[in-house]
Amino acid sequence: MKLHSLLNTLAKISIGLLLSLAVSAQSITIPHPPKAKKDFSDTEKCVAPIDIIRRNHASFLQHQRNDTMRRGIRTTKHSLVNCINCHVTQDSDGNYPNIKEGSEHFCRSCHTYAAVNIDCFQCHASIPTESDISIIP
Amino acid sequence: MGEVEKDTLMGFWTAFFAISFYLATLLFVGGVIYRIYQYATTPAPLKVPTMPAPMTQKGVIVRVLSEVVLFRSLFRSNKWIWLLGMMFHGALLLVIVRHLRYFTEPVWSWVALAQPFGKYGGLVMLLGLLGLLGRRIVIERIRYISNPSDYLMLILLLVIGTSGALMSFVTHIDIIHFKAFMLSVMYLDVFSGQYPIPIDTILLVHLASVIVLMIIFPFSKLLHAPGVFFSPSRNQVDNSREKRHVAPWALELETPKN
Repeated sequence: MKLHSLLNTLAKISIGLLLSLAVSAQSITIPHPPKAKKDFSDTEKCVAPIDIIRRNHASFLQHQRNDTMRRGIRTTKHSLVNCINCHVTQDSDGNYPNIKEGSEHFCRSCHTYAAVNIDCFQCHASIPTESDISIIP
Repeated sequence: MGEVEKDTLMGFWTAFFAISFYLATLLFVGGVIYRIYQYATTPAPLKVPTMPAPMTQKGVIVRVLSEVVLFRSLFRSNKWIWLLGMMFHGALLLVIVRHLRYFTEPVWSWVALAQPFGKYGGLVMLLGLLGLLGRRIVIERIRYISNPSDYLMLILLLVIGTSGALMSFVTHIDIIHFKAFMLSVMYLDVFSGQYPIPIDTILLVHLASVIVLMIIFPFSKLLHAPGVFFSPSRNQVDNSREKRHVAPWALELETPKN
């Protein structure tokens, strides 16, 4: 009997906890990074399928970096400059978003959400270069 | 795999993990509260602090905290087990802090600060666990008193840690959509179908083993976490001369009621 009433209380507490979460529910946020300037090709939106890019873009960039810097092989497929050229877009006032704060920048929108630091832009430019390097090699 | 099949599969795993998380959380929270209630109401009729013991209540707080935070008595009895235990528990704390990023939006700043270190904390945690497993297997005296559950608990934690480290260092997953799924579970919006769980086998293994851990927590030796606070030989004041210690039931026998 004692156990029964205790379990009863527990059930009430847990329902209360759940309800308080539901009541406090803000709408669930998910990043909406700005659209890229154009599709990579007729069949692919990006240089690889989106699912793969989402999971492995960091590895691609690091692999590319090692190839370019250490082995002298410079290709354009996973070039950071090309990512930025296509993905970082101006707002309606013609300004480029800030990489250091907010979530307007293409990279920032997800990286802030996941609390992952981006080291790239301590050296590299976070906005498109003046001379437009062709996206298609 | 066709588009429709993929959607059905996603729907299935999303619902499966959402329901499992709700059940596991209920059992975990309810179970731990029940155990704490049980520990708090279990009579400790005798004055039995391990001497030398603190003479004041404040001293007891320091003693229990140094036990909880620094594992002081373990340090005094065995240095290398202390080191392994410290590696595991310290790294586990860091790893848990790091995981808070999946449950908070915006992510708290101190969590974001600790986040990059937690990645390596995961590896330290695995080393500690392997050491503790090695201890059970290699030392005959410990092997003799080890039950299947002792091994299984370590193996379960190793599965969780290994699958987690694999996602950090080898086969990455879509953490953005996973976080959206987790938030939708927390805010009871998971059955809207807008936030499906990303289907990566390694992620599903990681989550399933965490759910198993949550469920068995209130029924297993993992209860040492809340239990350490209720250890009578550590949480009592050495004041048996100053104050007579009488258990409530003993007092009832001593003084006639009428």
